Amino acid sequence: MAEMAAETVLQGTGIAKAFGAHQVLSDVRFRVADGEIVGLLGPNGSGKSTLLNIVSGFSRADAGEIRFRGNALSGLAAHDIARRGLVRTFQLPSMPTRMSVRQVLAAGSREGAGLVEAFLRRPADDPEVETLLDQFALSAVAHQPASSLSGGQKKLLSIALALRTRPSLLCLDEPTAGVHPQLRSRMVELLRAFNARGVAMLVVEHDMHFIRELCSRCIVLDRGEIIADCPPAQLAENERVVEAYLGKSVERPKVLS
Amino acid sequence: MIQFVIDVVIRSVDLALIAIGLSSVYSLIRFPNVTLVQYATTGALVALGLQMLGLPLIVAGLLACVFVGAVAVVLNVLIFERLLTAGSAIAMIGSLALSMVFSAVFLVTAGPRPQRFELDLNPPIRFLGARFTDHQLISVVISALAIAAFALILFRTDLGRCMRATATNPVLARGTGINTRRVTNVVVFLSGIMAALGGIGISVKGEMSAHLGMEMLLPIFAAAILGGLGNALGAALGAVVIAVAETLVTNVNFGPLVGESFLFVPAAYATAASFLLLVIVLLVRPHGLFVSEVKRV
Amino acid sequence: MFEFLLHVAIMACLYGMLALSLNLQVGFAGLINFGQIILFGAGTYGAALAFANGFGPVAGLALGVAFSTAIAVAFAQLGRNLGADYWGIATLAVAEVLRILITNEVDLTGGAQGIAGIPLIFGDWPRPVGPLMTLGLCLVILLAAWWFCRRLTESRFGLALKLIREEPMLALSLGYDLNAARTATLVVAGAMAALSGFVFAHYVTFVGPDQLVAAETFLIWAMVIIGGSGNHLGAIVGAILMQFLFAFVPFVKDAFGAPAEYVAAMRLTLVGGGLLVFLMWRTQGLIPERIGDARPAPATGRPAAARMVEKHNG
Repeated sequence: MAEMAAETVLQGTGIAKAFGAHQVLSDVRFRVADGEIVGLLGPNGSGKSTLLNIVSGFSRADAGEIRFRGNALSGLAAHDIARRGLVRTFQLPSMPTRMSVRQVLAAGSREGAGLVEAFLRRPADDPEVETLLDQFALSAVAHQPASSLSGGQKKLLSIALALRTRPSLLCLDEPTAGVHPQLRSRMVELLRAFNARGVAMLVVEHDMHFIRELCSRCIVLDRGEIIADCPPAQLAENERVVEAYLGKSVERPKVLS
Repeated sequence: MIQFVIDVVIRSVDLALIAIGLSSVYSLIRFPNVTLVQYATTGALVALGLQMLGLPLIVAGLLACVFVGAVAVVLNVLIFERLLTAGSAIAMIGSLALSMVFSAVFLVTAGPRPQRFELDLNPPIRFLGARFTDHQLISVVISALAIAAFALILFRTDLGRCMRATATNPVLARGTGINTRRVTNVVVFLSGIMAALGGIGISVKGEMSAHLGMEMLLPIFAAAILGGLGNALGAALGAVVIAVAETLVTNVNFGPLVGESFLFVPAAYATAASFLLLVIVLLVRPHGLFVSEVKRV
Repeated sequence: MFEFLLHVAIMACLYGMLALSLNLQVGFAGLINFGQIILFGAGTYGAALAFANGFGPVAGLALGVAFSTAIAVAFAQLGRNLGADYWGIATLAVAEVLRILITNEVDLTGGAQGIAGIPLIFGDWPRPVGPLMTLGLCLVILLAAWWFCRRLTESRFGLALKLIREEPMLALSLGYDLNAARTATLVVAGAMAALSGFVFAHYVTFVGPDQLVAAETFLIWAMVIIGGSGNHLGAIVGAILMQFLFAFVPFVKDAFGAPAEYVAAMRLTLVGGGLLVFLMWRTQGLIPERIGDARPAPATGRPAAARMVEKHNG
């Protein structure tokens, strides 16, 4: 329990959510400490995305409380939550058709994006945009319409965009799905680098290799309840986790391997 | 009181017919087709023309309805299917543009002055102190029967099941072997017929003019949105609410409320009443009064 | 003929402003506003009411902008929880309710008769000089509006608007307040439309509700879509094109000896048909929106700063 010493970034208690008669989350309790990368696992339909939506303000919980750096988030609009430094990406990022990749990335920072500021100074070239383009291997396609990127490139762009807002907690929804294996290891490096600079992360992910390389701890959801909270190496020994994945023979080897 | 109810019924059946058409097409192709109000005018205009050629009104009306239904299908295939590939907002603007072309055609063919159907003038029927004409009665009965027939199709036939399946989940519907394009066009055909019938109904009870469609645009949309766009029977209820609001605003003496003996709202505010109702509903319950539709993104 | 052309040119400038204003909403912020003409009406009635109550033109302009701001904020509030198509219908409804109000509140607005006798700009000058100076003024205002719009949309604010237009959820996740950005756009666009209405009132010297019918909104829409939504020059070109086409419709009617209603019919066909043709076959308009950067990307690969940061990150 060494990480308990670090300051808590995100803490959820008693979170519940139902769609009609279907209880998606019940009494979910979790925490993410400063500097941590926490994996959020679970079979399909276990409530991972719903939890992410609730944390980022895109959906409202029926009950429970979420605290971000000590402040309650309930009732805040999604943009307010993002402004406080809790930024999320989407599982299937869709990108503008009439903006170039560079323009989209430039729009990632709200600095100087006010109406009045439009007349106070001219938009200058932003070195940070070029840096991110370079780091995320998007320089070659920077002039293309953002919608023309491949699914994997859109994932990279959406992560670059989220990082551009300088978040203190980054919530990633299946960041590696559809990303080329070569870029995948690049992504691990990049996320580690940003983590080293103080960005905590909550990562929804199916790829166990990715999880093991990146995360210090994993939370496993099954049918809306948390069934495990341990380092990735201990997952295979956890009976409830094995049981939850047993029905899904396709995913079982991934967890146990 | 009886007169009030009768006024409301007379006004609401025709509104309901067109609003149901609007709503059911919306449920399938997810954009509000403004041109539908012009189909209503087309129906009245064609029926009027056929009557002038010597056909009895019932036959002329029937032919006009079928004609408008066919026109609706042709335009859907030629124009709206293409516009929809660019998105529902584009399709809606396109339907407004098409409505303007229709208005131009009406101005040239029917002329700018209002016209009336040739009807035998009979003394008004008296019923519990209320007055209405036999034409109003026949027209209301026909419109009500048409609404009932549509409800039967929707809930009692295979076509209705296919329609509801397509509206709920087009991908799934296609997967189970439903030809969604054909289902859509059949519904477009029916919506054309209902719009034409509504237009004829309105013109029989009043007059027909080139501007009829555009004047009806907001009341129809108000009715359909009140009922929750995409909810056909909700649209019928919405039409009743609109008719009540319009009739109330013009017929109620608001004098006692402000300490005067007589205060009637000018008749021009009848239309404003339905628009205002629309705005308020959009503010408070954007998805209609009667349903809790899935939130639109 | 010269004076007629002068009149058409002035009207083209005023409609150019309205098209720029609508383009800001439709082309950049993705706001389907079907009530645009009432923002113009805010300006015309601002001028007329100030005049009727004995105030000067400065008060008229201020009143007009106050009206347009109130309407713009109301529009934006309506948009808070509505889909784009519902919102379009709602703006149309608000515009129509206000027009009906203006028509019927005779004591305040002169009703359907409107308010006449508003002082003419450059009215003290002889005939061809006065209108020429008016055209000059309108051109200056139009160019200023053009510069203003370009400056606005090439800024970071403009980029944010485009992101909100295309991917509202993504913009929200990055911390953009959609409602605030949309409200700001509507208020600015509304003030531009009101300015156009204010000059219009002092040019034709008469203000009435018939100038505010929904068909006018659709005319402005046709200008924006045909010219090219998302492109300021396109909006202005569209406005000039439609104004001159409209102006020559009566001559065509006379040439064919057609009855009077053919003028209205031909104009409706121009607007509706033109819109439809462009929506179906050339959605991007005559002058398409520029995708990508205003300036070409640096050709020599990544800047030195980028390499340094990368090295730092290992």
